[in-house]
Amino acid sequence: MAEMWITMGPQHPMTHGLWTLRVKVDGETVTDTEAELGYIHRGVEKICEARDFTQITPYCDRLCYVSAMTWAHSYVMAAEDLLEAEVPERAEYIRLMAAEVQRLASHLMWLGAFGPDIGNLTLMTWCLRDREMFLDLLQELGGSRMHYNYPRIGGVKRDIPIGWAGRLKAKVKLFEHRIKEYEMLLDESTIWLVRLQGVGYATAEDQLDAGVTGPNIRAAGVNTDVRWTNPYSVYDQVDWEPAVEKPTSVKGADCYDRYRVRMEEMRQSCRMLLDAIDKVPGGANTHYQPGDEMILTKAPTRAPEGATGFSTYECTRGVSNFYIQGGGDGRGKNPYRLSIRSPMFLTIPYVAKTMIGYKIADIPAIMGSFDPCIGETDR
Amino acid sequence: MNDWLGLHDFIYYRTREGANLLLEGTFLESSANDIAFFLYTLIVCLTTFGGILLSMFMILWIERKFYARVNDRRGATTALRSLWVGENGVTAGEWWNMIPYGLGKPIGSVNKWLNKVAGNSGHKHEMVNRVGNRSWYGVTIFPGFFQNVADGMKFLTKEHMVPSRADKVIFELAPFLVISSTIMILGMVPLASGIYGANPELSVLFAFAIFGIAPLGVFFAGWSSNNKYTLLGGIRSAAQLTAYEIPLLLSILGVCIMAGSFNFIEIIHFQHSSGVWLFFLMPLGAVLFLVSMIAEVERIPFDMPEAEAELVEGWWTEYGGMRFGLLFAAEYMRVYAASILFAHFFMGGWHAPFAGTIGSIPLLGDAWLAIPGIIWTLLKAWLIFTVVFVWARTALPRIRTDQILEFGWRMLLPLAVLQVALALVYRLYFFDASALSDTVAGGWSWDLTILGFTLPWGLPILTTAFWIGLFTILMKDEYIEENEERMYHIRTMTPAGTHTAGKE
Repeated sequence: MAEMWITMGPQHPMTHGLWTLRVKVDGETVTDTEAELGYIHRGVEKICEARDFTQITPYCDRLCYVSAMTWAHSYVMAAEDLLEAEVPERAEYIRLMAAEVQRLASHLMWLGAFGPDIGNLTLMTWCLRDREMFLDLLQELGGSRMHYNYPRIGGVKRDIPIGWAGRLKAKVKLFEHRIKEYEMLLDESTIWLVRLQGVGYATAEDQLDAGVTGPNIRAAGVNTDVRWTNPYSVYDQVDWEPAVEKPTSVKGADCYDRYRVRMEEMRQSCRMLLDAIDKVPGGANTHYQPGDEMILTKAPTRAPEGATGFSTYECTRGVSNFYIQGGGDGRGKNPYRLSIRSPMFLTIPYVAKTMIGYKIADIPAIMGSFDPCIGETDR
Repeated sequence: MNDWLGLHDFIYYRTREGANLLLEGTFLESSANDIAFFLYTLIVCLTTFGGILLSMFMILWIERKFYARVNDRRGATTALRSLWVGENGVTAGEWWNMIPYGLGKPIGSVNKWLNKVAGNSGHKHEMVNRVGNRSWYGVTIFPGFFQNVADGMKFLTKEHMVPSRADKVIFELAPFLVISSTIMILGMVPLASGIYGANPELSVLFAFAIFGIAPLGVFFAGWSSNNKYTLLGGIRSAAQLTAYEIPLLLSILGVCIMAGSFNFIEIIHFQHSSGVWLFFLMPLGAVLFLVSMIAEVERIPFDMPEAEAELVEGWWTEYGGMRFGLLFAAEYMRVYAASILFAHFFMGGWHAPFAGTIGSIPLLGDAWLAIPGIIWTLLKAWLIFTVVFVWARTALPRIRTDQILEFGWRMLLPLAVLQVALALVYRLYFFDASALSDTVAGGWSWDLTILGFTLPWGLPILTTAFWIGLFTILMKDEYIEENEERMYHIRTMTPAGTHTAGKE
């Protein structure tokens, strides 16, 4: 049969953002693919060269609009490395909780978008329903529902409000029941299983070669969780374990493995949050004023010439790195160069190639199971 | 048994009387009866189509309500409850006050009581309140019922666009092929014994012959739009509809064998006079009919031809304006026709359930039997639509093209053949024609006599019990006893709680 190219995107339900997937099909079978990225390149790295270190945090929020807190946290860690700022332990705990709440919200957004990919709209509304709970929590911290600008170099902007811990506990416990509801809706549905199992195989070796990180490679049995291997913040003090799936097939992890890993990761985040809320130094129900040394230490605003800062951070979609070189503008107020490593930038071209040999109907399933986010890809 | 509300006889005689009276003495006197027949046909067709199309608003309304509420905060219980109980003490408009002559007042007081007892107030369901804070101000007759009129008006005002290198004639022809063939099905489908558009001898065959025209239109639309997505959608649709037409027709063939007729009205009469709805004699056939019907009307989980995740909107993609609106309406008409057909084939059509038992209770029985048959038909159709079509759409993901075809050819087709054979056996060896009775109570044709011992209604009871038992066994998850955990649970590297991160 004659082959033809189909251009999916930049506006297409499958893309989850703004990019183009060109697919060559033979009937219903995909024979070749080509990913075109760069539609929302904003030049964040260049913009940052003309900003103060504190002004950069909002830009990092906007790297991924689904998981702003983790990206801002990642940047702030690199900046602290550069400026040699100390972070109070209470602030570390608050950051950890904020990041894990964000991880829950981000994974819920992924699951919610994954549902319509497979054809179930109910899943989307249910997930967005539960995401609201966590966005409410983040709104209490940062004042906004999407871009929080919450972490500060040397701490956090504000302390957690009185009563926040109780609300967090109640919502997390409710959500643990909701996960069971999702599994009742999905795992017991044969259609869900036949759509995901045996589709979109990705071996651990290939993914390592391509630089895929995060839940996607953990689904293939490789434990690359930075929170576990190189614990930053206070991840070594709370009770949790990384979610790693051992795929049953030699062909690697399929879409179902990736789905399971993210579901388990949400459970682990819940576990971590419930543990962390009890361990916060100073008590979870006390509120320190902004700028109190319990939550924010004074950090220098200028970096010496030649100093560098680096952070390795487990974002919701994989490992994000920030590399900052100080001493820009001759005054040390701005970074000379700031470089961002986005996990999705490496993953999406790899995913496009794994689709070859599957059906057209599998494209949304495979793409959705890798959880693409174009904001961080194009930067 | 014929329904007491028979439009046909009534209108036939009235038009005949009226025409003869009016035309007496004029030069048209000799053709008065022909004119009366024309008028009679016109009125009957208009009333029937009008009734079906107006009651179709109910279908859309049910779907919107039910779907939205299942998707909503509190799940299906709220879905049912929210029809009468508002959120936070606020109901969606006091529509019962708009019913004439104060007939709705009792509903209003029941509603207020329910709101007090089961309603939502204060911060009990905070999330519900947020959604409940929707704008419902303005004139509401029946909340959201006429939304589709507004949608239709919007479609009418849109520009009609034809893609630049499309095959214009076919592109324009395709939606009309789909829509007109869909409307023609409704012409064959009776709403009650005396309310139908046309009643040919072989109406079942005729209706399903028309049902098979629409795939052609779909394929035309997919091909002529000059778009790769519509092309794929059209081809998928052609493959799917052909694959599912055969089990559909075979399951209907089983019904016709049982009833001994190819006529809708006679099939329904047969169910009543033989004493039991066909659903209880052929549950397998009913399920096959429903599954292939969902595939035929292209709804989730079989909506591959318009899979929006990969094909944007499938073969509809290039249609805009009222043509899109009509295609959309045609899909719902087909769904509606499918629901009514199921009510007719398997649920006794316009007959009241337990007409003999409840009908023999003094006062209540009279009221039960006084409900017109059209009401029963519509209620059964709406029930089927809600329970099967909408619920499946909310709960299930979409299946893949190759899986859908495999399921159709390798599962449904053999089962449909089995059902036809079963129907033949039932009709030839277990059917007692002498016990047919066209009274209010119906007959006793399906008693089972083994070794001189007679079990009343034995065959339907045993058949239904057998299929329910088989269904229960097949649906049982064998892993549940072994493992309290989920069947496909995650395998982490170490058991939970034995490790502390970073201390390896």
